[in-house]
Amino acid sequence: MSRFIALPKGVSEQTFAKAIQEYRAILGEDRVLTDPASLQSYMKIMIPETEELHKPSAAIYPRTVKDIQAIVAIANKYKTPLWTVSTGKNMGYGSAAPATRGQIVLDLKTMKKIIHVDEELGYCLVEPGVTYYDLQQYFRKHKMNLWVDVPAPSAMASPVGNTADRGVGYTPYGEHFLVSCGMEVVLANGDVIRTGTGGVQNSTSWQSSKWGYGPYLDGLFTQSNLGIITKLGVWLLKGPPPGGYMPFLMKFPKVEMLADIVKTFMPLRLAQIIPNACVVVNAGWEAAGYFTYDKNGKGTNRSTFYKGKGSLPPKVFQEIMDKFKIGAWNFYAALYGSPEQVALNWKYVSGAFKAKFGNQVQIITEKEAKDDPIFEYRRQLMMGGSTLQEFGLYNWRGGGGSMWFAPVAAARPSECDKQMRIATDILNKHGFDYVSEFIVGWREMHHIIDLLYDRTQPDEMHRAYQCFEELLNVFSKNGYGTYRTNTAFMEKAAKTYGPEMRKIHRTLKIALDPNNILSPGKSGINLDIPL
Amino acid sequence: MMETGRRGFFKQIFTAGVALAASGMSAVHPRKAEASVQERIRGICLYVPTLGKASDFVEMMNNNAPGSWTAHPLTGSLTEHYFTTRQLYAEAQGNANTFVGVVDPATFAIVHEAIVDSGGSFHYVTYEERDRVTFSARM
Repeated sequence: MSRFIALPKGVSEQTFAKAIQEYRAILGEDRVLTDPASLQSYMKIMIPETEELHKPSAAIYPRTVKDIQAIVAIANKYKTPLWTVSTGKNMGYGSAAPATRGQIVLDLKTMKKIIHVDEELGYCLVEPGVTYYDLQQYFRKHKMNLWVDVPAPSAMASPVGNTADRGVGYTPYGEHFLVSCGMEVVLANGDVIRTGTGGVQNSTSWQSSKWGYGPYLDGLFTQSNLGIITKLGVWLLKGPPPGGYMPFLMKFPKVEMLADIVKTFMPLRLAQIIPNACVVVNAGWEAAGYFTYDKNGKGTNRSTFYKGKGSLPPKVFQEIMDKFKIGAWNFYAALYGSPEQVALNWKYVSGAFKAKFGNQVQIITEKEAKDDPIFEYRRQLMMGGSTLQEFGLYNWRGGGGSMWFAPVAAARPSECDKQMRIATDILNKHGFDYVSEFIVGWREMHHIIDLLYDRTQPDEMHRAYQCFEELLNVFSKNGYGTYRTNTAFMEKAAKTYGPEMRKIHRTLKIALDPNNILSPGKSGINLDIPL
Repeated sequence: MMETGRRGFFKQIFTAGVALAASGMSAVHPRKAEASVQERIRGICLYVPTLGKASDFVEMMNNNAPGSWTAHPLTGSLTEHYFTTRQLYAEAQGNANTFVGVVDPATFAIVHEAIVDSGGSFHYVTYEERDRVTFSARM
């Protein structure tokens, strides 16, 4: 019986033991773990596959760039693949588990330095283990009026990890890769590069000027396995003056109103009157959020309303909307600036919606929302606060299964409406509910659908897998790419982008990591699998 | 009072958790174990109020694994659950030898990360039912 819970593909136990010995020689015993209990946290997956397929062989915890250089040298020597995570909070996209069995998790949470925060220009330089919450605490401690845009798991996720996966947030800086500036990356051969202007000796603009000189490289290291990001520059927002932040909610009673909602807000978004990555949230998502907040101390979830098999019938959805006083669509956005600017822009925004929808739209500001917990969760997200309320979704159906299906839509009314209809049909066909939000980017929507299912039921696991696969295939056939996916579907999602893209990804991989030691399988790039 | 079926459920999970914690064994999967406790139990139990009362949890734990048990309800928002768990886990270091929980799936998602982020790991994690997760973390 092996003394390891898994081994890398093609590596014998004896060879792996030697590699572990060498890792321990450079890092110490306590930073190279192979025991089952220590590795169990990396197997907490929510995708519809068995943990066996994603079982790591070890976890290692470097503290410095030099540690990582030494680690990649050993990995090349023994062909032990390294699955890199920053804080490992990619829940719904595969969590911290490797794409394939036997990889060593290179856990960078022990690299936690906030290297620099520049209040004057609003940027910071951080290591991978720094969380958004750490940054917020830093701003508070040093009395800096700065905001960092956050994704939903803000309190525990890291800017490096989220940006590396091209995640998004909810303030005007919602597109995280766009507001990143300068990376330090360890390549598979141990070289360390600094992108942008970072290569200039004593560079004075590494975090303020993005492009540098010659081909722009940063994109190569996002959603990729071509290097290990060890430092990242992130642009920060200056907090507005008192009275200069106005979050609001608009509720709409009918599912069919989606196209008109998009038609109304997109001109305001493009004109920067609504400057943030606002969201249009459906009733399923909104209702799930209220679970934790039942004031009677009683849990109310999907099964409270419906005990039948299959997806929720429209009549039940209506009951849920009535119970929680939520819309079929719920549009959250915010205005920023001076109080005078905000007041003026509010006239444009509220005027546009009232003109279009009359008494069919219910407008909620902070005054009307009072202490509503879901409004508060959105208010926090749109000002870069810390909240984990989104994970109330996991109580809605129960059972620990969740996959984000995340197609991108051009921000046109017809496209959003079409995506909503296709997704609802496929999900309902497989017995699941349409639980979604559209995050509004610059000219596109990230259509985020949470496929919630019960991992304890083999039948639901199977159906969830089939459903996700059909979503991927049908959306692809309709011209919709997914912007990000979970480890169970990375290979399949990569195929939807065509053979030429796969070929160039592979060419880059061969050039930069010929031994395939960096996160094989990430985004479907894996030299072990023939194209 | 707890229903009989739930009593049996607690007997199994806490006996297993306590035995593993006290003996220093570790397991990826839940297992039944004899309560061959070598030292007095000083245990912390996290729970969400929707799944039972503190008095029920303490009673059950004392019946099945006698010792000094403290039950902590996780109330408020999920964000608060994260920070509360981090604080409780940190305080338990050196003061307790057993750290278990009975929580709902959303809370588990948060509590799991809080324990991991505090340097902890798990003896076991089990979805007992669709809406209830039990775990035992290493101290």
